[in-house]
Amino acid sequence: MVNWEYSESIESQDIVSIKDKYQNFVNGKFQQPNSKKYIDTISPSSEEFLSKIVISNEKDVDTAVQSAQMGFEKWENTTPHERSKYLFKLARLIQERSREFAVLESLDGGKPIKESRDFDLPQVAANFFYFAGWADKIDLSWGAKSLKPYGVVGQIIPWNFPLLMLAWKVAPALATGNTVVLKPAETTSLTALLFADLCEQAGIPDGVVNIITGDGTTGSLIVNHKDINKIAFTGSTQVGKLIQKSLAGRDVGLTLELGGKAANIVYEDAAIDQAVEGVVNGIFFNQGHVCCAGSRLLLQESIHDEFITKLEKRMQTLRVGNPLDKNTDIGAVNSKEQLNKIQELVNEGVSDGGKIFQTECELPGNGFWFKPTLFTDVQPSYSIAREEIFGPVLTTLTFRTPQEAIEIANNTEYGLSAGIWTEKGSKILWTADRLEAGVVWANTFNKFDPASPFGGYKESGFGREGGRHGLLSYLKAES
Amino acid sequence: MIEIKKTYKNYVGGKYVRSESGKTFTLSLKNDSYEVPLTSKKDIRDAVTSSKKGFQNWSQISPYTKTQILYRLSEMIEGNKDSYTELLISGGSTRNQAKKDIETAIKNIVWYAGLADKWEQVAGNLNPVNGEYFNISHQNPIGVVFSLNADNNSLASLLNSILQPLTVGCSVISFSEESSIIALKFAEDINNSDFPDGSLNILSGQFENVYEDISKHVEINLVSIYKEVPTEILTKIQENASNSVKRIIYMPSIDGISSVLPFLETKTVWHPKGT
Repeated sequence: MVNWEYSESIESQDIVSIKDKYQNFVNGKFQQPNSKKYIDTISPSSEEFLSKIVISNEKDVDTAVQSAQMGFEKWENTTPHERSKYLFKLARLIQERSREFAVLESLDGGKPIKESRDFDLPQVAANFFYFAGWADKIDLSWGAKSLKPYGVVGQIIPWNFPLLMLAWKVAPALATGNTVVLKPAETTSLTALLFADLCEQAGIPDGVVNIITGDGTTGSLIVNHKDINKIAFTGSTQVGKLIQKSLAGRDVGLTLELGGKAANIVYEDAAIDQAVEGVVNGIFFNQGHVCCAGSRLLLQESIHDEFITKLEKRMQTLRVGNPLDKNTDIGAVNSKEQLNKIQELVNEGVSDGGKIFQTECELPGNGFWFKPTLFTDVQPSYSIAREEIFGPVLTTLTFRTPQEAIEIANNTEYGLSAGIWTEKGSKILWTADRLEAGVVWANTFNKFDPASPFGGYKESGFGREGGRHGLLSYLKAES
Repeated sequence: MIEIKKTYKNYVGGKYVRSESGKTFTLSLKNDSYEVPLTSKKDIRDAVTSSKKGFQNWSQISPYTKTQILYRLSEMIEGNKDSYTELLISGGSTRNQAKKDIETAIKNIVWYAGLADKWEQVAGNLNPVNGEYFNISHQNPIGVVFSLNADNNSLASLLNSILQPLTVGCSVISFSEESSIIALKFAEDINNSDFPDGSLNILSGQFENVYEDISKHVEINLVSIYKEVPTEILTKIQENASNSVKRIIYMPSIDGISSVLPFLETKTVWHPKGT
């Protein structure tokens, strides 16, 4: 028996200094907000207090939007080439302070340092580099001269990839000549506030980037502000629908990147060991807090038993624990609220009749944790097979023919991503053509790149982020 | 001798049909007036059922064949120029305006016919990702499109509310009010061409009777509105649409590649490279 015990290897927190309390970053500097309402932001892995952030009120949102309007005048008069250089400069600064951001991200959000250091931060820098180069080439992007920036863009981002979602939003918005009012999620605002420091350091003109903290009430104030020209939202389908409704009848642009319930299809002719790795990565990456997570495993019947045996064995090797330990595979669930939601859906899955497997592991005493979980014997009607769990919970369904796999895969209101595992090229192309999903990973999963468009079909939202297509989310055709 | 007058009907699933409600409304042209179908909620549901099937068949036809089917449509209209001219004049155009309008319509059909096998090259591309992956973004048609005609007594503008989604493989439910006669006449050319049944359904009626249903119908994937509608109605449509994240486009671009982009979903496929 191989001994899988590891010695601790803890990343130092010394590199990070967290203020006791944060203000909003508006008009190029941190400013005293009008709101007196502050909430604590804690580390989900220890429940320790980290800092206080403000819940911005109507006056604060208004100040930020006004600042962005003034910023837009300056940004419009900055040449595309200069805008490009600002974004390149930001990209470099991110690389230089990458470790500081990574540690802070893991502390504040609970994700393993291995992921924040090796995935989130390199991707953040890459996004700024990629869109920096577009800033002075917008005319080449779609061959249309009539594409113009919206103006002031309100951006509301989630807590699963806090700084990376900021990069996905801010980099293309600035490259296309817009200015932004960005609101990070209330449980993970700290890296966005540290990013504000970089904007100062890079000398971004005042008002071009405004970052205000708050919860859903603040988000709603941004959406409903009369001078907002476009909203870009990443989060739940439920909130996305509310935003779409709020904007009804108003001349405000909208892109939505919402939930998912991705099918990860494994055909019997797949390379099984590789597929097991891919399935594990597909659902347990970032504690399963991933909108495109491969949360529905679709197994061809003939390989079900073999695959499940291998999968359970592989799952047992996942190390759950301190996010700052470099050995950790699965960190803390982002919040108490999210943990309760995961637990509730899992309980429902068990009472519906699903067979549950959870790995044997010790969970830390404090903080919010959930064991890697696998369901088999699941009917497509169970809520664990239909609803987005947004946690480390995988649900297995089976199919007999490729046609049936497609039917099951598409039998959801979501359409964000999907996976295909087979060694047969023609089957990959046949399957990919028929899947209603914005991103299809074949013999891989959860791969991201700033050059690669991301976004959903159906109720997973509209608009794309990343790539040439991502520019269109921030440009409107003027007649 | 008494003149024989044509009865105009809705065109659904490749057939000419009356409204199941039996209701009509009167459209008065210069020289005559016509009773045309007043589309009901049930008619809309039937049209959607037909369009879903139409979408499956039309979207699977190869781009090369789509090009030829669209081009053939221009041939049909060319052959029926005279009857369109008379209809347009009867609707208030001068002979010269009518002639120009039909020329523009034909020109646009030919333009989109030639785009049917090219938009995917223009709107898609390989993505240079960092790593050993093949990564390509290409497009799928969004599905069933409901399109509200601008209704300005023009064949060209009717076509400008149909050709963009049709070219990329969507099925279209085209809805007209005041200019219904031209639309229902146009159905005859569609019927004589090689479009699969249900790929283009043509209805006449009052938009205020159906906007609630079309905005709530989850099997309509996109609603495109080429006509100014009151803010209260637009608001209601968009509010209803939010229940299923339905795409609503209002007065979209009818020019160049940007005219087809709203009707496409971008799909990005990754595959590792290796030995």
